Order: sequence, then structure tokens, then C-alpha cells
Amino acid sequence: MGFIKQVFSGIYNLVAGLFVTGKHLGRHAITLQYPKERWEMPERSRGVVVLLSNLETGKLNCTACLLCMKACPTGAIIIDREKNPDTKRWEPTKFVIDNTICAFCGLCEESCNFDAIKLTGKYEFSVFDQAELIYDLDRLAELGRDVKYTPRKKPAAKKKAAQQKPPASAKKPDEKKAEKAEDKPGEEKPEARAAEKPANKPENKAEEKAESKPDEKPEEKPAPKQAEKPVENKEKAEAADNKPEEKKSEKPDEPKQENLDLDKEKDKKDSGN
Amino acid sequence: MIFGIELPQIVFSTIYFAASLGVVLLFALFLVWWERKVSAHIQVRFGPMMTGKWHGWSQTLADALKLLQKEDIVPRDADKRVYFWAPVVVFGATMMTFVVIPWSPQFIAADLNVGILYIIAITTFTIISLLMAGWGSNNKYSLLGGMRSAAQIVSYEVPLTLSIMGVVLLAQSLSMQDIVADQDKFWNWNIIRQPLGFVVYIIAATAEVNRTPFDLPEAEQELVAGFNIEYSGMKFAMFFLAEFVNMFVVAAIATTLFLGGWWGPFANESLGWLWFVLKTLGVIFVLMWFRWTYPRLRVDHLMEFAWKWLLPLAFLNLLATGLIYNLVK
Repeated sequence: MGFIKQVFSGIYNLVAGLFVTGKHLGRHAITLQYPKERWEMPERSRGVVVLLSNLETGKLNCTACLLCMKACPTGAIIIDREKNPDTKRWEPTKFVIDNTICAFCGLCEESCNFDAIKLTGKYEFSVFDQAELIYDLDRLAELGRDVKYTPRKKPAAKKKAAQQKPPASAKKPDEKKAEKAEDKPGEEKPEARAAEKPANKPENKAEEKAESKPDEKPEEKPAPKQAEKPVENKEKAEAADNKPEEKKSEKPDEPKQENLDLDKEKDKKDSGN
Repeated sequence: MIFGIELPQIVFSTIYFAASLGVVLLFALFLVWWERKVSAHIQVRFGPMMTGKWHGWSQTLADALKLLQKEDIVPRDADKRVYFWAPVVVFGATMMTFVVIPWSPQFIAADLNVGILYIIAITTFTIISLLMAGWGSNNKYSLLGGMRSAAQIVSYEVPLTLSIMGVVLLAQSLSMQDIVADQDKFWNWNIIRQPLGFVVYIIAATAEVNRTPFDLPEAEQELVAGFNIEYSGMKFAMFFLAEFVNMFVVAAIATTLFLGGWWGPFANESLGWLWFVLKTLGVIFVLMWFRWTYPRLRVDHLMEFAWKWLLPLAFLNLLATGLIYNLVK
């Protein structure tokens, strides 16, 4: 009896196997036609290192603080800097990343306080000559030009808005004062201020952007908002209204949801794999 | 008689045979491409996509052209004459079967009154050529592959022939056209009248053409490539082509014997070949489906399966067919 049962279960399994492969036959291929199609890499993938520029002004975010250079375990980053006599701020004159020894560990990105350096999803950088793998400032800036990133919130500004106290974090006190000073006039005519700004403070991009935009806010939704929000909130708070609460409750949700959706999409792709 | 012109039978036979060969060689090119597509889609990938714009349709053409240009390498210690003739024999033997393939009521090169016997006899040539290739190459892997294929084909020839006997018994004829004519209604198709015979035939035929799950003669993991390991260029292409033409042959025979040949809705003298080709392609698709579903058998399992399972089943089928035929008649 057991033998016959075994025979029939064997036949059943053969047929079941055919059905399994038959089902796959009807599915659409999940592989990509590589040179024609490419994966969209996840935001946090660790590929080529680039220097990011301000999303509006297009100037480099780098303040030449040398933190990434110190953080780099392989010594792949070399920076020379110089003080800009107009703005009294450091600017990189030479920024070299040697991709032949870079380990793509991401420590430079983590050490950076200014959204200046980032590991991107770019992965096609093979060259014929090894020397071409040593990227200089222009090359890095060029690579970072089209990179989408979410500017970080300014923890200092946020705290200030909430507590009206000078916080102890990354921001230097003088910078904050400057901000404050500008913020008050900024409430009245944001557009006019925006126009003035670039001339005044070319290096303090994040603030500039934040201030130039408060009235455009409600219509426009995408990512850059995250950075602007805290500053805006702070402004509103200084104007002493109830508005900031409403804004806060609305705004922070949107970008988050976006991010969640993105994650979901990625998950789908991964699981499809 | 063709298009109302009267000519000697020998002329028609030659024309039909040549036409069959041309058609079948084209089919072989198509089958290689189709096999790659089926395997790709079963594995949820694309397969050839680049050559010739539309889904890589001309990939096989490009491959054949490439093989034509390749250097013809002969191993130093090979038995040169045997080595040279092996692909010719396998190709010739395969082609000779097309003499009796009934494409449509008229389209048959020669309706021999021993048609099916002729096919069984001719396909056995394949064993000789595989042994020749295995021996002539003077390579241990190719010799092992050749021996394996000989043992396998000889073993599976027995249940194959016995499963065919049931059909012959019902049609009371060995002629291919008579066998087809016997299955004039759908419920008279031999797949309905003796499904067991059909199953035994399909399994044995899969083994006969050395396809997975019975592809031991060319088991890559054990024998690198089997009997054709030392062949390159056009000689390799001959083996490769013969393999696919063989697959077409066994599918065509399955169609003739079990699936009603050229019978089908609206089947007449001009449309019969279409049904024949469609059914044959269907059987070929099933063979491909097998290949990309089942893992390879072990050598002893292979022999055990042939002698302990297929042979008794084939006998049972023959016995039952004979009994019922006598009772009903």
C-alpha cells in the first residue's frame, strides 16, 4: 500500500513541478536590460563620493572644516583650504578623493556637518587609466551637481525657535546671531530679502534659502522643505503667532510620508528580486 | 500529383524530401532560439534580446555564421576518419527520417508500407554516430558520454517500440498515412484511446533524444560536454543541429501516432500541414518544459526506470490494447 501511495505522490509531484515552472513562464522577466535600463540605487547606497552643492544657489556646501579628511580611515581625502577674504570663511582650494584607495565606508559622510560630502548611488566609474580615478574638486562638484539629497534640519535653529536659547550644538554662536539679525527684517519682505541676500552672505546658503522662500511654501511640496522648515518655524515663532503649531503639525508629516513610500517601493523591488 | 501536373513518383519524392529538409533546418534554427526563450522565461529572465531588434530573433543565425568561421580543430591522437564521419552520420540519419513524416495527406516524400518500422530502424543510427564521436575523439569524457548514450538509447528503444506497437495494432498498418487516417475523429486520436502508450512514448522519446532529465550522455557536471567535447566549429554545429532536428522528429512522430497527425478543424489537403506543425510544436514545447523543470536522473536510476517501470507499462498497454481491440471487434 505504501509503495503505491509513493508512486502516486511521485507522479503528483512531477505534475506539480510542471505547474510551478509553467507559472513562472507566464511571469514578466525581472532582470533588467542593463545598458538600456539601470537600477535606481537607494538613497543611502555607498557608491562614488561626491561634493554636494546648495540646491538653490549651486555653490558647494563644503566649509573646508577638514573633518572628513580626518575621519577617512584610508587617507583617500586630501584637502587644501584658504580663507575667503570677503566672507572670512574657509573654502577648499583643493579637494582630492583617491578612488583607488577609497573603501566606501561612508565615514566622511557621517562626519560632515554641512551636507557637503555624500556617497551616491553612482557605480559606473571604470576608466582606462588608473590616474583618472583620482577625482579633484571640479570633478567631485560636477558629479554632485545632479545628486538629489535631503538637506538636514538645523538642530540649532530649531532649538532656538523653541527655547529662545543659544543651543550647544554644531552651530557657532556668531552664525546664529547673524541669523537672528537677518530674520527679523526677513518677516516683512521675504522676496526683497532673498534678492539682497546672495550679495551679502554668499556662504551661508542654507539660511538664505530658508529665508527667501517662506511665502512659496504652501504650494510647493518636495524634499528641500525639510531644511527650510525649522528656520521658517523659528521666524514664525519670533513673530509670536499660533501659526507655527499648525505648520509644524502639517508639514513634517508630508516629507516623512514621501520617504516611507520610497522605502516601500524599494522593498517591493528587493522582494521582487 | 502536384498542382495538376503528372510526374514520375521519384521526382515528387525528391522534391518533397528536399522541401522537408529545408523547412526542418529552418525549424531547427527557430527551435534553438525558442528553447533559449522558454528557458529564459521559466527562469524569469529575458533570454536573447539584442540580435535582430525583435526579441533577438536572429540570434541563432548569428551563432551559425560564427560557427561556420571557426577553425576546424582535430585532436592529434584522434581516429581521424571516425572523428570526421561521426557528425555526418548523425546528421544523415536524422535527415533520413523525414522521408516518411506525413505533413499533410499528400505531402509525404514516400508513404512506405513499413513507415514506422523504417523510422525505428533509422533512428538507431544515432547510437552508432554517438559511439563514433565518443571513440574517435580519443578523450575519456567523450568515450564515457558515447557509451552512456549507447546504453541509454538501446534501453529506451525497447519501451518506445512497444508503446508504438499499440498504435500499430489499432491501425492494422505500419504506414504513417494509414495510422493518421485511422484517427479521423478527435475521440479516435490515440492519445484518447491509449493514454498510457502516449505517456510511455513521450518519456522514452525524451530519453531517446538525450534531453533533460535523461541527458546523461552530456551531463556537464560529470563529463564536461559528453560525446561532442572535442568537436568545434561546423562539426559541433552539426551535432547541435541534429539534436534539435531529432527533437522535431520525435515530436512529429508523437503527433503522427498519438495526436491525429494532420487532422484538425477545417483540415483539408491544403491546411493539413498547418495542424501537423502546430501539434508538433506543442509537443516540442512540452519537451522543453520538461527540460527546464526536472533535474537529471542518476545512471542506475535511469536504467532501473527503463527496465522496471517503462517496459512493464508498455507491455501492459500492449496487452490491454490487444484485449480491448479483440473484444470490441
